[in-house]
Amino acid sequence: MDLNYSPEDRAFRDTTRRWLESNVPKDDLKTLDERKQWHRKLYEAGYVGMLWPRAYGGWEATPMQQAIVQDEMARIGAPPAINGLGIGFIGPTIIVHGTEAQKQRYLKKILTAEEIWCQLYSEPNAGSDLASLKTRAEDAGDHFVVNGQKIWTSSGPIADWGILLARTDPRIAKHKGISCVLLNMRQPGVEVRPLKQITGHSLFSEVFMTNARADKSDLIGKLNEGWAIAQTTLGFERGGNSLGRVTRYAIAFTQLVKAARELRRGGKPLLDDPAVRAKMGKLYAELEVQRYAGLRILSALNKGESPGAASSITKLSYTEFEKRFYETALEILGPWGQLMSSREEFEEVDTSSGEPGTWATAFLWARAGTIYSGSSEIQRNIIGERVLGLPKEVRADRLKA
Amino acid sequence: MDFSFSPDQTLLKNSARAFLDEHCKPASVRLLWDDKRGESEAMWKEMAQLGWLGLALPEEHGGSGLGMVESAILLEELGRAACPGPYWPTALVASAITEAGTDTQKKRWLPAIAGGDARATLALLDTELDWNPESTATRAEKTSGGWTLSGLKRYVPWSHVADVLLVPARTPEGITLFLVDPSAAGLTSSPVQTMDPGTRWTNLTLQNVPVRGEDVLGAPGAGARGLAGLLRRGAVGAAAEMLGAARRCLDMAVEYAKVREQFGQPIGSFQAIRHKCADMLLEVENSHAAVYYAAWTLDAKADDHEMAPSVAKAYVSDAARKVCGEAIQVHGGIGFTWEYDLHMYFKRAKALEVQYGDADYHREIVLRRIAT
Repeated sequence: MDLNYSPEDRAFRDTTRRWLESNVPKDDLKTLDERKQWHRKLYEAGYVGMLWPRAYGGWEATPMQQAIVQDEMARIGAPPAINGLGIGFIGPTIIVHGTEAQKQRYLKKILTAEEIWCQLYSEPNAGSDLASLKTRAEDAGDHFVVNGQKIWTSSGPIADWGILLARTDPRIAKHKGISCVLLNMRQPGVEVRPLKQITGHSLFSEVFMTNARADKSDLIGKLNEGWAIAQTTLGFERGGNSLGRVTRYAIAFTQLVKAARELRRGGKPLLDDPAVRAKMGKLYAELEVQRYAGLRILSALNKGESPGAASSITKLSYTEFEKRFYETALEILGPWGQLMSSREEFEEVDTSSGEPGTWATAFLWARAGTIYSGSSEIQRNIIGERVLGLPKEVRADRLKA
Repeated sequence: MDFSFSPDQTLLKNSARAFLDEHCKPASVRLLWDDKRGESEAMWKEMAQLGWLGLALPEEHGGSGLGMVESAILLEELGRAACPGPYWPTALVASAITEAGTDTQKKRWLPAIAGGDARATLALLDTELDWNPESTATRAEKTSGGWTLSGLKRYVPWSHVADVLLVPARTPEGITLFLVDPSAAGLTSSPVQTMDPGTRWTNLTLQNVPVRGEDVLGAPGAGARGLAGLLRRGAVGAAAEMLGAARRCLDMAVEYAKVREQFGQPIGSFQAIRHKCADMLLEVENSHAAVYYAAWTLDAKADDHEMAPSVAKAYVSDAARKVCGEAIQVHGGIGFTWEYDLHMYFKRAKALEVQYGDADYHREIVLRRIAT
C-alpha cells in the first residue's frame, strides 16, 4: 500500500495545471461552435480520448492521468469537453465490436467532436427493463427501416449520430431479438423533441423514428446480438471522473462554509451553531470517504484490473452521496438554497456534471444520478446477484420464457 | 499509487484469519464472556509468539517495526473474531512509550509487552464525557520524590489485567502523561458491566496515588499533543476492528439469505433483502477505503494525517452499527437470540463506537480542519 502519487503523475499534474491556466477560456462558452472549439483544443493537447488506442486517434494514457486531468479541470472550473457518450462509450463499442470500415468512418470524428453522438436505448415502456424495447428495425435489403420512439436521449437536439437498440426479430425471447445499429440523426424520418427537466434545462429529449433508414453496413456486431453488446461494460473511460467529481463536491463544500459564515441565526454565524456544525462535519467526512474510495478504484484500474460488477458499488455510492450532500446543504441554507440565479458569490455552485448554476440547480440535478445509467435499484440488484451471489429473483418474464 | 495490500500484508491478513478461525471461535469467545478475567492468557502468549504484540514496536525493543496499516489489518481480523482482550490498549500505550519514553522506560516496558509478559491500558475519559485532552480534570501535585495523582477516570478498558496504566493529569505545566502502577496505594477500581462482555471497563478513583518522577512519560505539559496523536491512532485501530465486525455480519447475512427460505424461495431473492445486503456491502467497502487510507496517512505522515483518522472513525462508527444491525434484521428472530452469534459482533462494534473519540467528536475535528 502506497498512496503517494508517482513522480511521473505529479509532473503530469503540474503540466496539466499550467496548460489549463493559460488555455481555459476567459468567458462562458455560449454556442455549440464555441464548445466544439474548446473540445478540439483539449483533444489536441491530449486531454480527450486519453485511454483510446493511438491507432484510432487516442492517447493511450493511464487511468490515473485521465483522472488527474478531470480533477484539474474541476479545480479550475474549466468547461467540460463535449460528446461524452461518444468518447466514453459509443466509440469504445465501435472499437471492440465494429468493422474496420466503421472504425475508419466514425472514430476520429467522435474524438474531435466533429460529429456528436447520442444513445438511443430507453423507451417510454422500456426503462429498467430495457430488453422489453419495442422499436423495430425491419430488413429492407441493404438497409433497415426503423420505427419507434426513444426517450431520455441526452444531446438529442445536437446529435449527428445515434447508437440504436432495436428489435430485429420479434418472434424469439426478448433478449435475443435485439440488434445494435448506428443511426444517422440528420434524416427526415428522425424527429427530436427536447424534454424540459426539473432543472428547467433541456439536456435530453424524445426521439421519434418514422420509416427512418439505417444502413446494414452500420450494424454493430451480428444480427440479433445487440443485447450482449449493450451489456458489455467497456473499460475505456471508467473511473476517469473519480477524482474530478469529488473535487467538485469539495469546491461546493467550500461555498457552503462561506455561506455558513455569511448567514446568521441568534446573532451569530450559522457556522457557530452546533447543530449546523454537526451536519457539516458529517457531510465532509462522507465526502472524504468518497475520495478515498475513488482512489481505491483508480489504483485498481491503473494496474489494469477490471472492477466488473463491483463498479455498481461506486456508482451507487457517489450518486446516493450526492443527493444527501445537496439535501443537507439546502437544509442549512434555508431559502438561500432555493435561488435559481445567484447574487452573492456563495450562491454559485456547479452541478456535478460541471455546469454552472446555483445550490438549487445542483440539488435538482442530483436527482438524475440515481436514475441514469441504471437506477440505484438496478445497481443494488447487480450488486446482490453478481457481487454477493444472492439468488436471482423470480420474475414474471422469466417464468414465461 | 497502490491501494492494495503488499504480498507481506496479505500474508499477515491470511495468517491472522487462520489463527483466529482456529483459536478464537465463537464458542471460545463465549467462554471468555463468562470468564471473570475476560481474556485468555494462553492466547495472549500465542499472539506474542506470532509477533502481534510487538507488531509496530521498534526491532531493537523486540518488535517488528511495522506500521499502522499492518496494525489495522490485524485489528480488522480481531474485530471479525470479536476477540476479547486488551490488544489495542496495550499496543497504544506501547506506541506512546516508543514515541515519548526514556531509554529506561522503553527497556522496562517494550520488550515485556512484545514478549507477552505485560499488558497496558490508557485512561482517556475523565469526569466529563469529553474526548478532548484539554478536558482532563485529574490533578497531579509535585512531591519530593515525584507526584501524587487525584481524580476520577471513567471507562478505562481492561485495567483489571493491566500491568501499567497511562494516565493523563493536569500539572502546572499543562496536561502531563504518567505511567501508573495499577496496584499503587490510593487507587480503587470499580468494574462496570456493559453490553459487550468482550470489552471490560473499570472506573478508577485516584486519591493521592504516588507516582515516581521517572514514571512521567514525555515532558511535563507535553501530554495534550501526545494524546492527540494517540487518539488518532486509537481511532483508526477502532475503526479497523469495527470494519472487521461489520464484514463478519455482512458475510453471515448473505449466507443466511441464500439458504433461508420463505414463500418457497430463498429470502435473498427478494429485493427487500437483496437491496439491504447491497447497501451493507457499500458501507463495508467505503469503510475499508476509509480505514486503510487513514492508516496510510499515519504511516506516511501525509498532509491530511490529522484529518483522515477522524474521517475514518466518524464514518465507520455509523457504517458498522448500520451493517451489524441490518444483519440482525435480515436474520429476523434468530438474530435476536443470545444463542446465535451475530450479537457478538454487533456489540463489539457498538463498544468501539464510543472509544478513542465518538463520531460527534471526530466530526467536529473534521469540520475544524476544513473550515478554519
